[in-house]
Amino acid sequence: MKKAAIPFILAAAAVVVAATAAAVAAPPAAAQTDPEVLEIIDEVDRLWRGASSAGTMRMEIDTEHWSRSLEMEVWSLGTDYSLIRVESPAREAGTATLKVDNEVWNYLPRADRTIKIPPSMMLGSWMGSHVTNDDLVKESRLIDDYDIVISYEGDRDGEAVWEFTMTPRPEAPVIWGRIEQRIRKRDRMPLWTHYYDEDGTLARTMSFGEFRTMGGRMVPSRMVIEPADDEERTVITYLDLAFDVGLDEEFFSLRNLRARQ
Amino acid sequence: MTRGARDMWWRMAWRNLWRNRRRTLLTASALSFGFVAAVLMMGLMNGMLEEMVSNGTEVVSGQVQIHAEGYRPERSIHDTMGGREGVDVGALVAAAEGQEGVAGVAPRVYGGGLVSSGDETVGAVLMGVDPVREASVSRFASVFVEGGMPGPGEVAVGVDLAGRVGIGVGDEAVLVAPAADGSTGNGLFAVSGIYRMDLGGFDDSYALLEMGTLQDFLAMDRGRIHEVAISVDRVRDADAVADAVAAAVTDHSPDLVTEPWSVFLGQLYFVVNMAGAMNWIVAVMIFGMAIFGVANTMLLATFERRREFAVARALGTSGGALGRIVVYEGLLLGVVALSAGAALALPILAWVRANPIDLGSFVGTYSFMGSAIRPLLTVEYSLLEPVVSAVALLGTGIVSALLPAWRAARLLPADVLADR
Repeated sequence: MKKAAIPFILAAAAVVVAATAAAVAAPPAAAQTDPEVLEIIDEVDRLWRGASSAGTMRMEIDTEHWSRSLEMEVWSLGTDYSLIRVESPAREAGTATLKVDNEVWNYLPRADRTIKIPPSMMLGSWMGSHVTNDDLVKESRLIDDYDIVISYEGDRDGEAVWEFTMTPRPEAPVIWGRIEQRIRKRDRMPLWTHYYDEDGTLARTMSFGEFRTMGGRMVPSRMVIEPADDEERTVITYLDLAFDVGLDEEFFSLRNLRARQ
Repeated sequence: MTRGARDMWWRMAWRNLWRNRRRTLLTASALSFGFVAAVLMMGLMNGMLEEMVSNGTEVVSGQVQIHAEGYRPERSIHDTMGGREGVDVGALVAAAEGQEGVAGVAPRVYGGGLVSSGDETVGAVLMGVDPVREASVSRFASVFVEGGMPGPGEVAVGVDLAGRVGIGVGDEAVLVAPAADGSTGNGLFAVSGIYRMDLGGFDDSYALLEMGTLQDFLAMDRGRIHEVAISVDRVRDADAVADAVAAAVTDHSPDLVTEPWSVFLGQLYFVVNMAGAMNWIVAVMIFGMAIFGVANTMLLATFERRREFAVARALGTSGGALGRIVVYEGLLLGVVALSAGAALALPILAWVRANPIDLGSFVGTYSFMGSAIRPLLTVEYSLLEPVVSAVALLGTGIVSALLPAWRAARLLPADVLADR
């Protein structure tokens, strides 16, 4: 769950890393994580930290019963604020999601209603995709909830990589039993993240690709989220992305959630 | 035995019966009461079962339904007839309508969502209907307390739901529901009417929309429907009608399942069958108890007359003849009791049928296994229950007399007369 949120926040690419970056801001939690991991994360963190972003993305969802494609505008500030608004198809245009800290609101334009997602619906699907509402908020808490170690360092398929294994801390309110992720060394791009349930069974895979320079930074512009137990998947592609666009916290308001631009 | 001799035994039995008038009347009263109780109870039970079946089928479901295979019991929004492509709804309805015994046919679309206004939100089943056709299958159209069935862009809700959400006719209600394409259907709908079904569930958790409106709302094509509900002319023909409809609609889509109410309301069917069997069990118990009571009385009566029997035996009457006269007494007692019981029970049945007893002031309406029960005591009777009860009553008279008769027949005159 943790990870998928990222796409909406900062650059999609930073997924693992951005989340992890929060570790630096939370020294007590970080104390249990290997210093070498922290160093990697810190560097990546500096790459992404503080950046506001604005972009457009396409989300293509394939399920057993239906397929659908959405284009959305996305704004974010750090890991705590994001605003996403659907541009097309027309049927859903104006539908928007606001995330501030751990809370999520949806705006339904035809009914002109703002709905705060209650705790009971946090594990529900976000806009029918394989991303959950929980994914939207938990990403920034990854470091608080997991101990992170380097489980592999070396070559994989001719590429020097790190593989991190995250195991939840005893008291952590998380649903995964374990998270693994691979990051390539040369540009610190995430390649994939695997989510395992409490039985150690692979539950979900998130893979990254089409690394491009967008807004002056290298990011993975394409993310694929696939549940392990069926043929379904959600593909998120960034069409354009700009950084340090000068957004402040006030931009991420309920009023802006409703505003059609 | 000549005719005259036969008459004589009957006459003697009849006279014996009235030698102790009070005891005979009391015993006959017990039997009469048993008869009245059995007939009335079975009538009330049948009335309740009829009410359950008709409420279970006439209110909303109809007696026959068509679905896509696999639609029940999950009722997934995706399991529409004909899959994603849907069916030719008009042709499908016409095919079903052409079958003998079919009274009405109504196509339906279902979704689950939220109805709200202001800060109040209530979860509801969204039911898309053809407002005209629906009237021939369900009661919705006839139970509006205000306004009427929904047209395009409108919604009709039950009186309890309207009260909880705080909406009235002409107000706008917000509907939000997961649509078939994974999006979230949301919109404003004018309230066209408020109905009061007074039966479990429908008044507080259903919202009716015109079918096309709901299909648009749920991102479904016009050919995609979840259900075709069919009402039949006679409920007992539901199985045969279901077979005929199944054969007629199979051309329209191969994956259709046509079922009578006894299948899709299987629990109701089970309960009705079981309650029907209970009827007979209770009748057996009533007459079973009567047998022992009457046998006891008749044993006493024959014991009192043992000297008289002994004299008759001494004068040459056979034991069998004495036994027979006791059995005749039992049978005649039954006839007397039956006459009184019938004279009492039948008017009561007719009266309760004409004036159902409303227990509404004691208990509320409740729903049970997909049916709804009003606290209304009514009776349904056929010839079967009274006739069987009558036979049971006469049988009780005879069986009760068997032991006394056997003892009378086996009596040894010399011992009795000598008080040994």
